[in-house]
Parts: sequence; C-alpha cells; structure tokens
Amino acid sequence: MFFVTYLRRELRRRMRQAIFVALGLALGVGLVVTVAAASAGVARAQSRVLSTLYGEATTVTVTGGRWQEPSTLPKGTDTIAPGPGGEICSAPGGTCVSGDGKTLTMIDIMNEGISVAKVAAAARLPGVAAAAGGIFLNESTISWPKKGASTARGSGPGGGRPGGYPMEGVDTSHPTLGPLGGATLISGRLFTAADADAHVAVVDSGYAASHGLRIGSHLTLGLTTWPDLSIIKGIRFTVIGIVGQAAGSNPPSVYVPLKAAQELPWLKTGPSSVQGRVTNIYLAAASAADVPAVTREVARLLPGTKVTSASDLASEVAGSVTSFAKLANDLGRWLAVLVLIAAFAVASLLTMAAVSRRAAEFGTLKALGWRTRRIIAQVLGESLATGIAGAAAGVALGCTGAAIAAAVTPSVSATVGSNGGGNGTLIGGSPVQTVAVPLHLSVSAGLIVLAVLLAVAGAVLAGAFGSWRIARLRPADALSRVA
Amino acid sequence: MYQLTSVAKLYHKGRRTVPAVQDLTLTISDGQWLAVQGRTGHGKSTLLNLLGGLDRPTSGTIELDGTSLGALPETRLTRVRAEKIGFIFQTFNLIPTLSAAENVEAALIPLGVGHADRAARVAAALDSVGLADRAGHLPTEMSGGQQQRTAIARALVKEPTVLLADEPTGNLDEDTRDEIIALLEKLWRERGLTLVLVTHDSSLARQAQRVGVMGNGRLTIRQDTRPAPGPGSSHVPPAPVHDPPA
Repeated sequence: MFFVTYLRRELRRRMRQAIFVALGLALGVGLVVTVAAASAGVARAQSRVLSTLYGEATTVTVTGGRWQEPSTLPKGTDTIAPGPGGEICSAPGGTCVSGDGKTLTMIDIMNEGISVAKVAAAARLPGVAAAAGGIFLNESTISWPKKGASTARGSGPGGGRPGGYPMEGVDTSHPTLGPLGGATLISGRLFTAADADAHVAVVDSGYAASHGLRIGSHLTLGLTTWPDLSIIKGIRFTVIGIVGQAAGSNPPSVYVPLKAAQELPWLKTGPSSVQGRVTNIYLAAASAADVPAVTREVARLLPGTKVTSASDLASEVAGSVTSFAKLANDLGRWLAVLVLIAAFAVASLLTMAAVSRRAAEFGTLKALGWRTRRIIAQVLGESLATGIAGAAAGVALGCTGAAIAAAVTPSVSATVGSNGGGNGTLIGGSPVQTVAVPLHLSVSAGLIVLAVLLAVAGAVLAGAFGSWRIARLRPADALSRVA
Repeated sequence: MYQLTSVAKLYHKGRRTVPAVQDLTLTISDGQWLAVQGRTGHGKSTLLNLLGGLDRPTSGTIELDGTSLGALPETRLTRVRAEKIGFIFQTFNLIPTLSAAENVEAALIPLGVGHADRAARVAAALDSVGLADRAGHLPTEMSGGQQQRTAIARALVKEPTVLLADEPTGNLDEDTRDEIIALLEKLWRERGLTLVLVTHDSSLARQAQRVGVMGNGRLTIRQDTRPAPGPGSSHVPPAPVHDPPA
C-alpha cells in the first residue's frame, strides 16, 4: 500500500525525531499509569481495611458509646484482678490465691449496650435493606506456669503470660453483616439461622493454626479460676468454620452466635451484662446512594451512639497509607499531568517543524493533484504511528514503575479508630489500631486502554497542528521554498 | 486550449504592491509549444503557477478547455491538476523517501487507479524515459539527469493534455540538458501535448514553436517560429530567436 510505504519511509527518514517524540509520550503516559496504579492500590488497601473492620461500602455501623465501669458496683458483684506477685485477687485488697498453673480470664465489652429492640427499629428505617446486631468482645487472659515449671516467664503481672483476642457475637440470621462479611471461607461453613442457639464457632485461620484447631475441634471461652479456686468453666464451642481475613486487618479471631456471646461468663450478669443488648448494629443500605440518609435517620433514632459508614472512616484512616495516597494523588498526579502536557507540546512543535521542512514536498503533492485531506491523512498517520509506539513504551514503563513502587514499598501502615476503648481493668484494647496493609499495585486493562488513548490523543493533537499548517499552505508558496 | 484574458497577479508586501503579471492576454492552442523567457523576477514562474492552477489571478480570467480555473473551488481545481496538467520543476521535486517507481506512482494516487493498473502504467512511463532499470532507486541514488527523467515520467504517467515545465534543464550539465531537451521534444511530438516551458536558455527556447518574453510582468510574443507538428511529423529546424532585451 502506497500510504503505508510512504509513512514507513518518512518515519525512517526522521527516526531520531520520531523516537524522541515517542519517548516523550511514553514518559508522560508511563507516569500516568504508575500514579493511577498507585492510587488504585492505595484505595484498595484502604478499602480492604475498612471493609474487614466495618463491612462493605453500603454498610452503616452503629456503635454504642465507650463502656465505662460504674463508679459504684452493685452489691454482690464479683470482681477479679491480678496481683502484683502473680496472684489472683477477688478485688483490689481482697482475697488472693497463687496464680501458679492457673488462668485468669476477663471478657470485656468495648462499648455500651444497645437494646435489641433498637435493631428491629433500625431495620424498619427507609433505605435500610437489612440490619443485624453484634457484640464486639475482647477476651484477655493471663496464664501462670506451675511452680517449678521450666516455662519462661511472661510479661504479665507476676511473670504471667498475657494473651487474648477479639471476638464477635454474630446474628446468625445475617452472618455476613459485620466483620464476618469481609472474611473468606476456607473450610467448613458459616453460621446459619439454625445455629442461633448452638455453641458453635467460626475461627480465623491464623488463630486456628496457632491453637491447633480444625473443623470439629473444641475451644472453651471464658474459662477462669476464682480466688476461692472455684472454676468458671466457660462455654465449650465446636469449630464449624475456618475463615481467612485480610492480612493485618486485626479482625475478630473467634465468631460465636449472638445468644452464646450473651451467655459468656462476665457478660450474663453484672455491669458488663449484654443480656438483651448488643454493642454494634450493622445496617446494609439498599444502595450507596441511600447511605447518607440512612446515616442521618439512625443517628436520630439512636442518639448517643456513633454512626459511621465506610466513607466516613476513610477520612479517619491515617498512617503511611494516607501519606502514600497523598503522594500518589497530589504530587504524582500533577507531575504526570505536567509531563504529559510537555510531551504533547514537544510533539506538536516537532510535527509543525517537520511540516515546515516538507513544505516543498507537500506543494509538489498538491501540484500532482493530491487533495489537502489526503496529505493531512498522511501526516496524521505518521503521528499516529509515533503515538502507538509511545503508548506501547508508556504501558511498559508504567508497569515497570508500578512494580518498582510495589517492591520499594511492599506494605504501608493504616491507623483506624477501634469500636471503643476497654473498661480499663485489664489487658484492654488500645483506642486505635495500627495495621500493616499490603500494597498491591496492579495495572488493569482499563488503565492500559487509558494509556493507549492518552498517547494516541497526544500524537493526533500534534498531527492536528501540523495538519492545520498544511491546510493553510498555498501550493505556489510551498513550491517557492525549494532551495 | 488556454485562453488568458487581462490576467493580472499582484502581491502585497506590507504597503507595497508588486505586480508579478500585468494585463496578460494570451491564447495557447492545443498541442502548441510555448517557451517563455525573461530575467529573474519578471513573472515567468508566476505565469506558470497561474496556468497550472497553483495560484489564482488577482484579476482577469484563465480558461482551460473552456473552464475558468480561477472560478473553480479548490477541490475541483485539484482534480483538474490531477487529470490534465503535468509539472516539471527545476529542482526535480522528487519525494526523497520514495523510489523512482513510487515517485511516478504518486501521480496516479489521486486518480484512484487500481494497484495492478498503476504498476503497469508506472513501468511504461519509466520505460518511455529510459529508466526501466532504475525503478527501485531512490532520488539520492540517481544522477540529476535521471532524476529529471523520473520527474518527466511522473508528469506524463497520467497522460495529461498540458505539460508545464519550469526551468527543466536549469540544474543540469550541458550534455544532460541536451538529452532532456531531446526527450521533451520527442514526447511533445508523440503525444500532442500543450507544452509551456519557462527557461533562461535561448537554445532551448529556439526549439519551441512560439517564444514569449516576460518583462516586468508583461508578456511579449515573438513571431511564431514554426508550425505545430502533425502526428508522425519529422523534426523542423528552429528559426532564429532574438534574445530578450537586457
């Protein structure tokens, strides 16, 4: 084909200029791809943290106020605390026994309880597709070795080994509303409505591995030894499912049915009782557009609670993930835009200069009877070929840039607010959680298409400037430029 | 046939107006060979550009076969050039990145000629100028004479009725110039072309049937030197032509 032959020969004649223009476009496009991949990776990382802790984008979470231990406990309330020498004491200053070979367990709620009737009321709000209550708990333990045992001393009081993990009581009729919704089933099954009264548990895969649990295994929650040496046996649960959860997101390690959670030691009676109550309400809005209205309505229904959605919490995420996002979105984006503009400008100038140098050639073609648009098509074809080369190089550069960025910054930290503080008595949770978030920078097909379009658009823009000059070229004037 | 009536071409340079062609009335019959002489800057190339539709007159009319070139829209004027008018330039004006065959082929592109037909016509055109063995050579791989022959082949491959040549031997040595002159005359005779040739070269001008002299934008026609050749006619020796006044 004459068109292709002419195009190929002309690009070969000014190979250096074509390569220069293509590289300029490649640099701009590559930066755009890298920055876009970084932004998408950071957004995904933030989203994974938030969805694991707080559910999907349409989830609205209601959290009771921070739980405060009453200044005066009701008469007959059992209390327990570790002594400084490794004892278990009924209260500060009360009866103590040696902790040797014993385990002290505390189960704390982090937030004030909300009546389950409010869960039903929230479910009836307009824009709400489903509602479920949950109880977020923290089991804290200290275990002391038997006297004379060779076990190394721990960091707890009296050399005890502190332990514990977060737990969640789940509404089995809506098991995926709440943190369990962000988990991936690895083996066994999740809760069904039939498990409402059962003593079954779903555990995190990491927790299962560290405790030697598999499907059918048993674990006891709430086991503790009292100062009078009586044992609270706790409740024995059977493991029915093992789930995988986002690495570093610090989700609950154990999930049990809501009713069973309400029956756990420490939570059945006393100031921490959650009988007929939940600590969180998880609402699924009918759509993302309904979230703002649902948030307003539930805040009106439940004053004194904290109502948050994923978008609210996105602004609370701090840590290096935020710095990285700022770098990618602000500096990175502007840098990419500036480089792209510069590349477009250089390509346009070089194309116009080439058209000027070829004025006599184009004048000759017009004398031969070539229409202006045919000549313009030839010039645009040359620009397009350069743009396609720039696009290919830009995609390669962008993928390389994304891979380098991921290798240099394998993970970033994300700090988010928890469901509330502990009751201050024992090994409670920190007010905030800092988690390591793996950063996966990937270049999607859509991003590649965008890169190609940008490079091609830049090349066509450059060709358009040259075409404008050709269109204005009078044949007689063009021919007079022959040296 | 060309009919020029009171044609003028003015160029405006700031406040100054430069008359490149003034009040020119001329008839060029079909098959006629007109040589135009004159000093540099007196409007010879401008006249050629007007005849070729590469420029439009400021006033007056230029008719080619009854069609006013100045009144045609650009697309139709381009079509006339593609079909009827061949150009030969002093500096050959070959596309440097295309071979001899591809340069000739470029003249057939606007006519929409099919690939196979194009190849055949290109081969015939190059053969008619004695360059069949140079079809694949780039302009930089050919001598000046070969390049000008390629340009002649390009001008004639579309079988035009008019051939406009602007100093076709201006960049050639004496021997090559004679070859080109002989070739032009042969082709003019064989094809019955209307040939308008601009030249400083008096010996070349003497070959033509009519000689005109451009002076300050005005054309003065010398007495016709020899009659138009019929088909198959033999060479008629040129009559003496007075050199243009200094």
